[in-house]
Order: sequence, then C-alpha cells, then structure tokens
Amino acid sequence: MIKLEHLTKRYHETLAVDDLDFEVQPGVITGFLGPNGSGKSTTMRIILGLDHPTKGRATIKGKRYGELRAPLHEVGALLDAKAIHPGRSARNHLRALATSNRIPFSRVDDVLEFAGITSVANKKVGNFSLGMSQRLGIAGALLGDPEVLLFDEPVNGLDPEGVRWIRDLFRSLANEGRTVFVSSHLMSEMAVTADQIIVIGRGRFITQGSIDALTATAKGTVFVRAANHARLTDALNTKGGVVSDVNDEGLSVSELTSDQIGQAAFDAGVAIYELTPQRASLEDVFMELTADAVEYGSSGVRHES
Amino acid sequence: MSRDVTLGSVVRSEWLKFRTVRSSISGVIVTFVLTIGLGALVTSLLRAHWSTTSPARRLTFDPVTTSLVGVIFAQFAIGVIGSLYLTSEYSSGSIRTTLAAVPNRVQLVSGKLIVLVTSLFVVSEVACFTTFLMGQAIFSGVVPTASLSNSTVLRAVIFAGLYLTLLSALAFSLGLILRQSAACISVFVSILLVLPLIIIFLPSSWQNDAMRFLPNEMGRAMTSVSPVANHFSALGSLITLLIYVVVLLGIGTTLMSRRDA
Repeated sequence: MIKLEHLTKRYHETLAVDDLDFEVQPGVITGFLGPNGSGKSTTMRIILGLDHPTKGRATIKGKRYGELRAPLHEVGALLDAKAIHPGRSARNHLRALATSNRIPFSRVDDVLEFAGITSVANKKVGNFSLGMSQRLGIAGALLGDPEVLLFDEPVNGLDPEGVRWIRDLFRSLANEGRTVFVSSHLMSEMAVTADQIIVIGRGRFITQGSIDALTATAKGTVFVRAANHARLTDALNTKGGVVSDVNDEGLSVSELTSDQIGQAAFDAGVAIYELTPQRASLEDVFMELTADAVEYGSSGVRHES
Repeated sequence: MSRDVTLGSVVRSEWLKFRTVRSSISGVIVTFVLTIGLGALVTSLLRAHWSTTSPARRLTFDPVTTSLVGVIFAQFAIGVIGSLYLTSEYSSGSIRTTLAAVPNRVQLVSGKLIVLVTSLFVVSEVACFTTFLMGQAIFSGVVPTASLSNSTVLRAVIFAGLYLTLLSALAFSLGLILRQSAACISVFVSILLVLPLIIIFLPSSWQNDAMRFLPNEMGRAMTSVSPVANHFSALGSLITLLIYVVVLLGIGTTLMSRRDA
C-alpha cells in the first residue's frame, strides 16, 4: 500500500506537487491520471525516495522508501525505460540490480523470459527500441517479486501486442493482491486498464474514484429537436436549463434531465421530434476535470505587449 | 535478513557494473598503454642517445622518474575513468534505477568507491611496476639503473601507483559534486594543467609556497627519489592529496544525499 500525506514539492517558484493526500490500495489497478507536466512523475520519484519532498511524506507499507532494507523485494518500479546505461547488456543490467538486493541470477533469466526478451538479453541496451526497453524495465520491476509496483507511462512505445501483454500483466499482479500504481496522461488507456483512478492537474488532487463513478459525475447534455426551437429555449430557460448550440438541427441542453425537458416541452405546447441524452465520454470527463489545470494548453499564442 | 542490501552486496553489484561497460575497460587499457608504452619509448630513446648526453644531464639523471614518465599521461586516462564511473549514470539516467535498488546514498558511494579504488590501485601498481622494471631492463648495461631493493626507489614506484589511485578518487568526488561528464573531466584536467599555469603568474615568493599544494606537484614529490625543493615530502604529499580527496568526497556525498536524483 502506498500512502501520500500532504505531499508537496516545490521547484523554485513552481509547485510541482501540491498537497497530495491519498492512498493506493492493494488488489486493484490504480490509474494515476493527469495532463503532461501535472506532477505524476515527480510524485512517483518522491515515492521511490529519489526526490525529496518539500513538505509531507510518502510511505510504502508505513515506511519511507529510504527505510526499506531490501527495496527491490518490496517495491518494483519502471520510471523511464530509456534510463539505462546504453553500453551494458540487458542481462548484465538486471544482474547488477539483482546482486545489490541479493536476488539469485536464476530469477534474472526468469524475468527476461517472462518479458519476452531472452533472445536479446546479451545485446547492448543502447540498441533497444523503446518497446524493448519498456519490456526490460518491466522485467526489472518484477525482479524482486515485489508487492508494490509503480509504472510511469508504461505503454509508451509498445506495439498493440505489447499493450495487451502489459494490461494482462497488471491484471494478474492486482489479482495476486499486489498494489499496482500506473500513471498515464491518456484517459482512454486508463479506462481499459485501471479499476480506480486518481486524477491530478498542476500538482493538485482533482478527483478519485472508479471509472463509472467519474463518468457519472460529469455533466451530460441532452440533444433536443423540436417544432419551435425559440419557444422551447424560453421554456427551458425558465426551468433552469442551459441551452447551447442553438441551430436548425436542434438544441444542446444541460442542467436538465430528458424527463424534465419532455415535461417542459409538453407544458409549452412544443412538439418534440427527438430527445437524446448524450453521455459524456471519458475523454470529455478528463478534459472537463483538468481544464483549469493544463500546464501547456493550446489556447493560442500569447503576445507580449 | 539475508536479502537485505549490504555494503558487500553493493560492492559486488558495482563491480559487475564496472567490468561490463566499455568505458572502464578501455580506460584501463589506455592507462596500461600510456604508462608502459611511453615508458618504453622514452627509456629506449635515452639509451640510444646516452653516449652523446652531456655530463651535466647525466649528473641529474634519475632512472626512476624517467621510467615512470608515462604516469603523467596515464593520470588523464585515470581521471576519465573516475569521472565517467559516476557521471555516466547521471547522463544515461540509470542513477535512478541504481538509487531505487540502493536507496542509502552513503552505502552506494562507499560501494562505488571501494570498487573504483581497489581495481584502479591494482591496475596502477601493475602498470607502474611493469614500466619501472621494463625501463631498468632497457637501461641495463648502458644507462645507470635503479633497483627495487633500495627502499626509496621502492617507495617511489609504489607511490606512483598510489598517486594514480588517489587521482581516480579525486575525479570520482568531482563527479559526485558536478554530475556532468564534460564538466567533471574539464575541472579534473584544469586542476592538473591549468592551475600550474596560473601559478606561473604569481610573484615568485608565492610560487614556491603555492606550488606544493598542486596535485600534479604532489605527484612529482611522491614519485621522486630525492626530495623536491619547496615541496612537501613524498609522504607529506600523499597525505595532503588524501585530505583533498576526503574533503571532496565528504562534500560530494553530502550533496548527493541532499539533492534530488
């Protein structure tokens, strides 16, 4: 189990991580979602004891990472798959890691086999594709058979077969009762991978919950096509509805359910031709949740006056 | 518990890393080639021209220092090995994987240092004794030679290897502080080559006082059979250089513990 308590990290003027306070539970896949630059990697680095928090703390099963006596046996992590000495072979890279935590070399061969990179195990890591590096990174994370696993953007660079392999892997790790914490900036990826999702933006906690719960909280709209759009708009406005996209095709209505809209139309004497609830897509939910928290938005060029 | 990370397991892991990258292996080979190869070249040339060498030069001739001439060049190869040993982990980003496996910074630095110093001590001493013995064999019969049975000569050869070993630890400490390969190698080379040039511009009374504090001059004092004027003794130079290394290591380890990886 991973626990963050008021975790804060300040780099000079920027707050990279702002008072994060949550727990990551064992037995489920927890997605850690946020736009690029939202502080996901920084948070993971702090959990692994690589960066020092400005305030607060991150613990794994009650201990700070630096207090773990045999860290690879308790926590496995894949941060940056390319962050391996390019001149060393995959096998020697894993053997060096294994040696420091007194893991037998037979286990190195096992994880190489499991990750499907036995055939390139003696090749230099510098020549690896990103997908092969990801597989090597995952092999490294599994080396000590840890109960807690962290993966930072693990599907980057993987081919479809690799993506499927990694999803199945996360599922089986979670089913074995392990804690699986996976970051991504893609909601669609998390929707098919994770059970629980924690959303952050600009280092701040935004929301937490299951995929279904998150979509339910998002404001859906109802598409309405009627005989007289102007009269219907007036009627809906008085009921507290918000009407947008008024055109000949129809109206997009929010803040009212389709039942309420139907009743309003009946009361106003406007014939309804079509009444379709539009469920917000996961991507919409994510955009809505993080709208205020996008570090590098595409809102146009800002001119210096 | 038997699976805990210990200094021993860190040393074994770092030794595996040290011998499985090309930069350290080729660095060791270059060290041998420079020390022994240049020694052979210079001693052979001296032997060939001995008959025409002036009496004044013959008088000041030192067969020990001459046979160890390659050390002056090997020190740069040693510096590169010591620098890259840590800075390559920062440039590749693998330092994060390393620290995830060994979170205790002091333990990691100690393990790395033990591997570096032990292996380069062996390499340096083998290179220095080889070039010394080879040089004397080349001189033999024509040029005056020195023997290891003379304790001062033995000390000079052993200290030549120790000088190189300490320089590797100095470069490693600079790596801890600077973290970038290019910066680390530049500073190392500047200490050995640029600082002596700056000293030249000082008033001559200062020069004599300042000279002895330069690492390269300490190397001179350590490998010389007779005491060098205005320098620390051989042992004094060894101790002073050791103090430099310990201080820089202390600063480097403290910085590494405090900084984000």
